[in-house]
Amino acid sequence: MMKALGSLSRRRFLTASASLGIGTIAAPYVARADDPTLRITGWGGKWGEIMKAEIGPAFESEFKCKLQTDSAFPYLPKLQASSRSAPIYDVLHTNSNEQWAAAEMGLVEPKIDPKLVPNLADVYPYAISDKIVGVSIFTSAIGLGMRTDKGYGNVTSWKELWDAKYNGVRGGYVIPVNSLGQAFLMMCGTLFGKGQTDLDAAYTALEKLKPIKIVDFTGAMEKMLLSGEVGLCVIHDSGIYRYDGQNQPTDFVSPSEGVLSLEQVLTITPGSKMKELANAYVNYMLRPEVQKRLAETVWYSPANKKVKLDAKYDAKLLTTPEKVSKLIQVDWKWYNERKDEIDQRVNRIFRA
Amino acid sequence: MQTSASHSPSLPAAPQAASVRMPGPIRHYGRYLYLAINIAIIIFLLAPIAIVVVFALNPTPFIQFPPVGVSLRWFEKFFASRDFMHALGFSLEVAVLTTLSATVLGASAALALARGNLPGTRLIVATMLSPLMLPAILTGLALFQTYVLLDVGRPTWGLVAGHTLVTLPYVVRTTLAVLHNFDTRLEEAAQNLGASPVRTFFEVTLPLIKPGVLAGAIFAFIVSFDQFPVSLFLVSPGNETLPVTLFNYLKFDLDGTIGAASVVSIVLAFVVVIGLDRTVGLRSYVKL
Repeated sequence: MMKALGSLSRRRFLTASASLGIGTIAAPYVARADDPTLRITGWGGKWGEIMKAEIGPAFESEFKCKLQTDSAFPYLPKLQASSRSAPIYDVLHTNSNEQWAAAEMGLVEPKIDPKLVPNLADVYPYAISDKIVGVSIFTSAIGLGMRTDKGYGNVTSWKELWDAKYNGVRGGYVIPVNSLGQAFLMMCGTLFGKGQTDLDAAYTALEKLKPIKIVDFTGAMEKMLLSGEVGLCVIHDSGIYRYDGQNQPTDFVSPSEGVLSLEQVLTITPGSKMKELANAYVNYMLRPEVQKRLAETVWYSPANKKVKLDAKYDAKLLTTPEKVSKLIQVDWKWYNERKDEIDQRVNRIFRA
Repeated sequence: MQTSASHSPSLPAAPQAASVRMPGPIRHYGRYLYLAINIAIIIFLLAPIAIVVVFALNPTPFIQFPPVGVSLRWFEKFFASRDFMHALGFSLEVAVLTTLSATVLGASAALALARGNLPGTRLIVATMLSPLMLPAILTGLALFQTYVLLDVGRPTWGLVAGHTLVTLPYVVRTTLAVLHNFDTRLEEAAQNLGASPVRTFFEVTLPLIKPGVLAGAIFAFIVSFDQFPVSLFLVSPGNETLPVTLFNYLKFDLDGTIGAASVVSIVLAFVVVIGLDRTVGLRSYVKL
């Protein structure tokens, strides 16, 4: 009798354990089975915080869906590894250089249909130019970041980065892995050669930048500037403005030759089963109120012309056609086609 | 039966050993050299941890040396962050599940390999250790692609399976090491005295191989808890492990929160080792 009870108890226990285990694993899928899910990518940091707290939930509520955001890099290899007919993402949010690579591989649709995304009609021309795959929903301006407490004086030109007085406190990026570094290389071609594609002039200019402190991530450059380890560096405006109000001795310089654009681009994957929702999401992200909230949180310049930012943000971000006209867009298609060759060359330059 | 006393006739070698002892001053300096080398190794091992602790306690939002003060602001930020807390809990969950699966599978496999008279044992052992040879990032990518092909998404069990794959070799290796010198006559004696195979396993075999199994389990836990390359491809949105969350965070916010998270990880690993010592007896492993 005891044995039978013991056997029964053990069987029940195993059954209950198995059910609990399967239930735990399956619960999220069961709970969400009724809601359509839009799978997107997105940044971490402040962007991720506000998307998770406000912007995402508002979208879910309005469109009766679930937003599943992958903020774990790298996005492109994951998209490449997934099936074209059932891609891992419906909407890819990343920088322009990666978007071009994705478009070249047929992983994302090169353009977004203005009929399905009405807010496209209100964006600045740069946001849907021939240098852009999909649509740029925001941009940052890549220029120079400087310490204001070192007596460097006024910096107005990119070329001042080559001034010998910045030897030892000059900052740049590991070009093969950083979009800002890649855009800056193209700028070197413009500054010292015949244009963005003048790689020989760019390489010569990079040689002359040494000694230079180079980092992988822009976050690391921000900290080096804050700590005074670098005095003048290539950086995007949001990397400086985000410390607004913290009394930091740093400032962003918008060089007279123009600023490079670092676009936040959205594209839709061709195999997405949620096309309608994906287009709705892109349209939603271009809404003036959404653009304003995000722009004032992360200091990105909104792509929608109708956005009215508060005075503090309006003064610094690219919010008028005149300011936007200073943006220089990089031909990422051209760059990506030569990326391996460029990587090898710049690695040699900075290794030496 | 041979006893320890039976070895005593071979002991007179000791005076011969004494005759080749180094002179006093050399021995004296040798001891200092030995001490200096050990201190250098300890500094080499602990320096990164010390830097992390300084970074975590420094109030400035960037690494500054010498530090300008002591503050717990980064720990507050870490513990107040829902993302970090979720990642920490999830990492612990995955590490515990991985430890269980790798330990059961690895120890069983080692027993089968040591006892099973299997054909091609060496090849099987080499295959089981092969995940250590392959860059973990490729393991992660390969598993990700497999899951995509199977259309199972990126479930938690998939992540645990990935971690098990890279931690299994540690358990197999450490258990095989113990089994190498295992005296099977002890099991035969237990069975001759009427113990069933199951009882023999739990009361004779397992206690004797416990040091090796436990060593493997500790490795499995630590490797899983710190695992980054495999997790990078296998974590699902909203279920990121702590190392992946830290990586994503430092791309945008390289402040002392990273240091605080690292200190918490180190303390947790320490707590786990102490916990294992108190619950299953780490001292037996140390004797190994």
